[in-house]
Amino acid sequence: MMARILPFTADPHRETRDLMPWLITGRLDPEEQARVEAHLTTCEECSRELAGERLLAGGIAELPIATGIGWAAMRDRLDTAARQAAFVPAPPAGRRRFTMSQIGAMVAAQAALLAAAVTITLRVEAPTAPYHALGSAPAAAGGNAIIVFRPDARESDISRLLKANDARLVDGPTAANAYVLHIPDAVRTQALNRLRGEAAVVLAEPLDTAALR
Amino acid sequence: MSDGSVAHRHIGGNANATPEDLRLFAGVRARELDAFEALYRLYHPRLARFLLNLLRRPTLVEEVLNDTLFVVWERSDTFRGASKLSTWIFAIAYRKAMKALRRLDEPVEDRDAELRPSGDDGPDAPFERERTQQALLSALAKLSPDHRTVVDLTYFHEMGYREIATIMDCPVDTVKTRMFHARRHLRRLMDGELADWL
Repeated sequence: MMARILPFTADPHRETRDLMPWLITGRLDPEEQARVEAHLTTCEECSRELAGERLLAGGIAELPIATGIGWAAMRDRLDTAARQAAFVPAPPAGRRRFTMSQIGAMVAAQAALLAAAVTITLRVEAPTAPYHALGSAPAAAGGNAIIVFRPDARESDISRLLKANDARLVDGPTAANAYVLHIPDAVRTQALNRLRGEAAVVLAEPLDTAALR
Repeated sequence: MSDGSVAHRHIGGNANATPEDLRLFAGVRARELDAFEALYRLYHPRLARFLLNLLRRPTLVEEVLNDTLFVVWERSDTFRGASKLSTWIFAIAYRKAMKALRRLDEPVEDRDAELRPSGDDGPDAPFERERTQQALLSALAKLSPDHRTVVDLTYFHEMGYREIATIMDCPVDTVKTRMFHARRHLRRLMDGELADWL
C-alpha cells in the first residue's frame, strides 16, 4: 500500500485541494479517496471548500449546452467520399474499402453519373483548340489524378500545393468538388503521397482514364 | 429543453463504461455504415457539448465534430485499444479543436452569446436558476480553452484526471493544476451566485 503513495501525499492539504473535483465525481483510486477523506475529517477549510465545489460541479454538469447539428451533414460527407472513392480504379489494399451494398445504389448511381460527366467534359474539351487554355487540355494527355480540397482551402494554398508537386489542373470542379490533375508519371506516386499529408487536401488518388470508360 | 441537457449528462456519464461503443466500433472497422451511424449518434451529444464548450462557435463545432468522427471512420485501424475508445475519440476531437482555434487566431473569450439559454436577459428570464446558469456560462467563457476543457471533461463528462491527461496529451499534474486554477477563477467570477444555485 505504501508503494502506491503519490508525490502529493507529503502535503495532504494540497492533495485534497487538488483531487477534490474527482472525489466529487467518484473518479479517484480507492487509496487516493481514503487519504482525501481522512484529511477532510480533520480540515475544516477543505470541508468548506468541498461544499462550494459540489455546488460548482453540479451547476456545470447541468448547464444547458446543446447544438442543433446532426447526422445529416456527416452523411453528406460520406456520400461525397464514396463518390470520390468510386473514381479510384485500383485502390491500394486496405484503403477505402467501401462496400457498395452498405452505401447503397443511390451512391453508385451518383458515381456513375459523375464518371459520365467527367468523361463528357474531357471528350468535349478534347477537340483541338486554337488557344491553349487551362480547361482545354486534351483528355488523353490530361488527367491522371483526382484531388478534393477542403471546402475552406485557400486559393493560395491550392496554387502552392500544385506547384510544389509539379501538378497541373486539367479539369474541375466536378459536381462533387473534385479536380482532375495531371502529374508527370515519374513523380505521380510521391506527389500524391505528399498531397495526402496536407491539411488542405481531403483526398488525392491516382486516376486512369480507362476507369472512366 | 432542459430535459435534453439532463439526458446528455446521463449519456455522458454512462457511455464511458459501456461496451456498446466497442461493439459498434467493430462494425465501423468492417465498414458498416449502420454501425457508424449508431456510433455517431452515441458520441454526438458528448462531443457536441465538449466542442461547443471549448470552441464557443456552433458553426466551428459542426466542422470539428464531423472532422473528428470522419477520422474515426477513415482511420479506425489506428485505434490500438491502449486506451478506452472514448479517450481515443476525445483526444482526436481535442487535437482538431485546438488546431481550429489556432487557425482562427482570434480571441475566444467573448463569444459566449450563442451558448446562452434562450431568453437570454429577456423578459422571459424570471428565474434565479437561469440567471445563475447564465452567469456560470459567462464565467466559463472567460477561462482559457485549456482550463475550460479540463472543467468540462471533469464535471460534465466525469472523466478521471489520468484520462484527461491522455486526451490533452499532458502530464497528470498539469491537469490538476489547470483544474485548480480554473476552479479558483470560476469561484471568483461567480462571486455570490453559487450560493443561490440550489
